[in-house]
Amino acid sequence: MAERLYRAASAETLLIEPLDEFTLIFHRASGLTHLVAAPAPEIIAALDRDQISAATLLERLGTRYELGDASDELLQARLDELVAIGLVAAL
Amino acid sequence: MIDETSDRSPEPGPGTTRRRALMLGAVGASAVVSIRPALAQTQASVINCEIPVPDAGRAGSYIAADGSVVPAGTSGAFPPASLAFKGDDVKKALAGGQLPGTTYEQNQAYVKYIRRLQQGTSGFTCFASLQMPRG
Repeated sequence: MAERLYRAASAETLLIEPLDEFTLIFHRASGLTHLVAAPAPEIIAALDRDQISAATLLERLGTRYELGDASDELLQARLDELVAIGLVAAL
Repeated sequence: MIDETSDRSPEPGPGTTRRRALMLGAVGASAVVSIRPALAQTQASVINCEIPVPDAGRAGSYIAADGSVVPAGTSGAFPPASLAFKGDDVKKALAGGQLPGTTYEQNQAYVKYIRRLQQGTSGFTCFASLQMPRG
């Protein structure tokens, strides 16, 4: 079965401003501004423009961070949120 | 020696960086708050933006007197506007003026349609920005 792949919005369409605990992301394509907390910015950075599966993303995050609660279900919940607001595309 | 369970990260070797802790969070706890586009609009874009009546997805449909989108040819409804209205025209219409090229009743129907615009409909961002108080 083909796995669902994910890709972040292109960097040129995003204006990302870290503000201590939060990160402001202005998405030029939608005109929406999002106030996000970890791990959203980390997921967007890890995805970048690659088209990868959630499993590959979890692996990639695991190499970059000490994941305190690595789980497919939790990562899927975060990905679904990012897809819902248009910062990540599900392919 | 690398102890995977240790809270203290191992000494980074050459070319490596110490890994930061990251939590994926709970399933029900969203990490995202979105701010509506109205807050991000400038006065210039208000004047230049456009509102098609109806939006492109429903082009050709008529606008009923209550502002709803109805099938073309519906009795008592108004044909679509031939050109999208400019933000400035809509602003004047919302303040009691009349949209260019419309009759009194047609204008009323179009203004009701515009007031009912939802996010995701073309013209919504333009309409939302018209709601902003003057800075």
